[in-house]
Amino acid sequence: MTVRTWIALLGALVLAAWAARALRHRAARSAAGRRFFRHPTAAWGIRVLAFFIVVAIAAPLVAPFGWVDQPDIVRLQNQPPSWTFLLGTDVYSRDLWSRIVFGTRISLIVGALGMLVAITLGTVVGAVAGYYRRWVDTVLMRGVDVGLALPRIFVLLMAVALWDGLPLGLIVLLIGATSWFGTSRLVRAEVLSVRERDFVSAARALGAGPARVIFRHVLPNAAAPIIVSAALGIGNVLLLEAALSFLGIGVPPPVPSWGNMIADGAPYLATAPWTTLFPGLAIALVVMALNAVGDALRDAFDPREEAT
Amino acid sequence: MTAWLVRRLVASIAIVFAVVTLTFFLMALAPGEPLLGPDERQVDPEVRAELRRQFGLGEHPVVRYFKYLRQLARGNLGESFSLHRPVADALADAIPQTLLLAGTALLLDFLLGLALGVYQALRVHRMPDIVLGNATLFLYSVPTFWLALILLLVFGEWLRWFPVGGVGDPVLCPSVSSLYCAADRLWHLALPALTLGLVGAAGTARFQRAAMLEVAGHDYIRTARAKGASERRVVLRHQLRNALLSFITLFGLAFPFLLTGAVLIETIFAWPGMGRLATNAILHRDFPLVNAAALLASTLVVTGNLIADLLLATADPRLRVRDTA
Amino acid sequence: MPSPGRLVLVGAVALLAACERPGRCTGEYCGTLVFASVGEPDILLPPSTQQVASRDIEEQLFLKLADIGLTTNTVGDEDFQPLLAERWEWDGPLTLVFHLDPRARWQDGQPVTASDVAFTFDAYTDSAVASPYRAALRRIASVKARDSLAAVFRFRERYPEMFYDAVYQMRILPAHLLRGVPRDQWKTAPFGRRPVGNGPYRFVEWRAGQAIELAADSTFFLGRPAIRRLIWRFTPDLQVAVTQVVADQADGREALYTPENIARVRAAQQVTLYPYRGNSYGYLGFNLAANGDTTQPHPIFADRDVRRALTMAVDRARLLKSVFGDFAKVPPGPMSQLWWIWDPEVRQLPYDTLLARRVLAARGWRDSDGDGIRDHAGQPLAFHVLVPTTSQTRRQYARLLQEQFRAVGAQVEIDEVEASVHTERAAAGRFDAILQTWNNDPSPSSGVTQVWSRAGFGGSNFLRYDNPAFDRLVEQATSAATPGQARAFWRGAVATINADAPAIFLFAPDNVAAFHSRVADVRIRPDSWAALLRTWRIPSDRLIDRDRVER
Repeated sequence: MTVRTWIALLGALVLAAWAARALRHRAARSAAGRRFFRHPTAAWGIRVLAFFIVVAIAAPLVAPFGWVDQPDIVRLQNQPPSWTFLLGTDVYSRDLWSRIVFGTRISLIVGALGMLVAITLGTVVGAVAGYYRRWVDTVLMRGVDVGLALPRIFVLLMAVALWDGLPLGLIVLLIGATSWFGTSRLVRAEVLSVRERDFVSAARALGAGPARVIFRHVLPNAAAPIIVSAALGIGNVLLLEAALSFLGIGVPPPVPSWGNMIADGAPYLATAPWTTLFPGLAIALVVMALNAVGDALRDAFDPREEAT
Repeated sequence: MTAWLVRRLVASIAIVFAVVTLTFFLMALAPGEPLLGPDERQVDPEVRAELRRQFGLGEHPVVRYFKYLRQLARGNLGESFSLHRPVADALADAIPQTLLLAGTALLLDFLLGLALGVYQALRVHRMPDIVLGNATLFLYSVPTFWLALILLLVFGEWLRWFPVGGVGDPVLCPSVSSLYCAADRLWHLALPALTLGLVGAAGTARFQRAAMLEVAGHDYIRTARAKGASERRVVLRHQLRNALLSFITLFGLAFPFLLTGAVLIETIFAWPGMGRLATNAILHRDFPLVNAAALLASTLVVTGNLIADLLLATADPRLRVRDTA
Repeated sequence: MPSPGRLVLVGAVALLAACERPGRCTGEYCGTLVFASVGEPDILLPPSTQQVASRDIEEQLFLKLADIGLTTNTVGDEDFQPLLAERWEWDGPLTLVFHLDPRARWQDGQPVTASDVAFTFDAYTDSAVASPYRAALRRIASVKARDSLAAVFRFRERYPEMFYDAVYQMRILPAHLLRGVPRDQWKTAPFGRRPVGNGPYRFVEWRAGQAIELAADSTFFLGRPAIRRLIWRFTPDLQVAVTQVVADQADGREALYTPENIARVRAAQQVTLYPYRGNSYGYLGFNLAANGDTTQPHPIFADRDVRRALTMAVDRARLLKSVFGDFAKVPPGPMSQLWWIWDPEVRQLPYDTLLARRVLAARGWRDSDGDGIRDHAGQPLAFHVLVPTTSQTRRQYARLLQEQFRAVGAQVEIDEVEASVHTERAAAGRFDAILQTWNNDPSPSSGVTQVWSRAGFGGSNFLRYDNPAFDRLVEQATSAATPGQARAFWRGAVATINADAPAIFLFAPDNVAAFHSRVADVRIRPDSWAALLRTWRIPSDRLIDRDRVER
């Protein structure tokens, strides 16, 4: 770490804290927002997420080395944390802190895009199943049952097996395509309960087509579980990407993702534990924050919740 | 009720059929050399051609598909390419191991998770709840294999409290012949089951806590309280019963896990279970084994769902009417 | 909720049970060795498998007629040790007669006869068995049993390694047990999971996914093995296997592979390290044909000077040090440390990035658009390197090479694919550059021909390297009359291939084995570490609990 990067890091911390505080003040204006911030873990979750997002955006400022630099592959391999290398080096003498910082971008993007794919698919399938019911519903939901219960690793491995080598976009797409089942169930339940409401019958009586009814009337009222699903979904995508990288299929090198950093460091766990520890902690922190935020969102959207 | 059951059965069989077909064609179309081992020995093209002929890989995938269906109808699961033995034998060896590991892990998961969830709900927003809440949040958020690696390092290598992988001591206890050997098996089971169980328990505890807190607000609980019933009785009878209903759903979802196992945990702890078997089969393009695993997994999934739905329907009459399927 | 008293009772029983110490074996023949093995054998029938894990166990179960000595010399027959054959003689330039040891027995009691030898040859060369060793036996015309103890080998031609070909590949099989098995079902024969052999160890049990156990045959005709039980324990993760050795839950491993593992094991007090010459080498190969089209030349690598320049851009010694520490050598050509043709003096390309850049510029590769990557006639100097996910070494090399090439203006992308996909794409020529490793037999003859000559097209010559001068030199080397002449021809061949630079020869590792310090007389033959296990012993004053257990 250089003086410049230390200053940048401190700046990032301050910026994140300020952003979290600003969000809190903004949220205090609505009842849902107040309910959200009643959870202390939610507040911390927002701060952690803000920090990582700031770091991701300001990565070149906060990282003293490039993510591909190999300063000295013989003498600086697997070095423990020091003043120069804040979190140590890996087996290729690459600075771990810089790679984690740049990896934040990759991991967050993979998480967000994967979640988007999953949410979109899940919402569409769930809405169609809930709206049309009968056979469409049966077929789709039985399929969802299978998809939910089959271990995702297998399904992913088989999907991955179809391709010779995997570009990053395809990995994101495949992860998303295997993660939408839970969301579809939630959306279907919401659509089922909403579709009986008066305003929906009114819209249909006025001649609105099914697509219009679904998108303009039903879904906005079902937004709550979708948003909660999204928050929790990013975490799942991150964990899945880590598992895939450990199996050897993941973000292609040398691009750093926290998952493939764990995989790179796993053979050296006994002699250089920091190479595996810090990427794992990074994942844990972000996923914890996302889970806390997701939980708080669920409570915030649910007006029946009372403090006991 | 019977009509619903029949409909479900038909749908279930259709699902299994669809999964097996999909898997078969996925594997048949996937690139990758299925027959030659990757042991960095020179490739003899004549050998490869002969092997392809012997294992019937030269024919068109659709032809092979129908041959496979015919073979399945006769109850023959085929021969594994990579293990050089009948697929049924390989499965028969791996399934008990996975049952043991996943069963123990699920038991730990449910018992510990239930206990923690109830305890947290009883002490909600107080110190024990907060501490446990953060602990479960952490366990729920870490990559399980990363946790396994670290636990193995700390408890297996540094502290030597647990053995480093394996099912049992191959020297003293090749088979369970005495109490000592049974204890040895448990000792080997402890770390992998704990790893899986803790992570699962964390999730279950969070779910249970939320479920019990949600139920707490319902009218009949308030009524019971108003009638003067003690706090403990209110909790134990009403909240638990309803929370248990959601438990049954969880069990239905977890049932297939019992036989598909936790892939990465099995690899790290050298546990010869179904998860590892199926993953290696996919990676080695061992078609017969992959197809058999898909058949097994999908059958278990639909069975698990069926059992869960039946249990739920018996437990909660309201659900029988509401099910639209 | 069980009462406290009952809990105490259960706990006491468990404690007593845990204190059980079975085993009272004493003396010189007690040892038990547990090997932490990463790979599990696929089948224990010698002609049907090439897997290293299978071979290690087959070494204990099935004997060859004779085997190479510790010098691993494959020329002539002086350095070979008699096994099943107690002596042999040359009955003319093309005829070799083996006289079997009359004491040799199958483990079911039947004597080993020459008809077993004839049957074995027939099986190994039968196309229905599809044995990978078939090609290595093609210069043997026939094997017949003259009488019950004499087997006659007839060759097609004369060459220095006739004896080696006759004995090294084949493990003699029991004709009376295998005659009834249809040849095309050998790959899945039940015999392969319950083998009956004639070697120093008997098969005991194979617990799928867990362990294979062998027990010493006390009536073995060449001497009772001192180690009573051998157990191979399967742990798919290398790190966990090494941890087992470090934590004294296994007695050792035949290879540790990385400097980190070596450091860990060195720190463990109860283990001794045994480095020995490795039998593998690895390289970055350039596809001389176009990616996916073997009829077209590769747009970048067809140019010999470009290949030479890229070879000079790589600091092989430094990469070696980073990946292997001190436990490997840079190979002077396509060879492993095991081969007698190892000659560090042979002409190789130097490490010279300045010269590399000059040559690249001279051949028209300049950075015309300032993006740091050279290009030429619209084609950027960019290519993909194919690496299997299963090899930690090659994955490391891929990343290191990426950086080395970036420094001279070449952009490299790494394709990490599953091992089965790697094999398929390599054989089909669907790659630009490939990181490949070969595990080799002790003789360079078949290894070099199959991988680097025209005869390997469609087989293991993935790069489609075709230099008739090289092929001729190799052919002369393998047929040379004396070792001196052979050495000269080999040197010429290696210098030729180094000058052509179809590949960058990167590493020839040492294998570092680690075994428990209590084991004495540890002899490791570099081509097959387990070949001499029957001569190891554990002195009676060094027995530990594992050794004393009766089975």
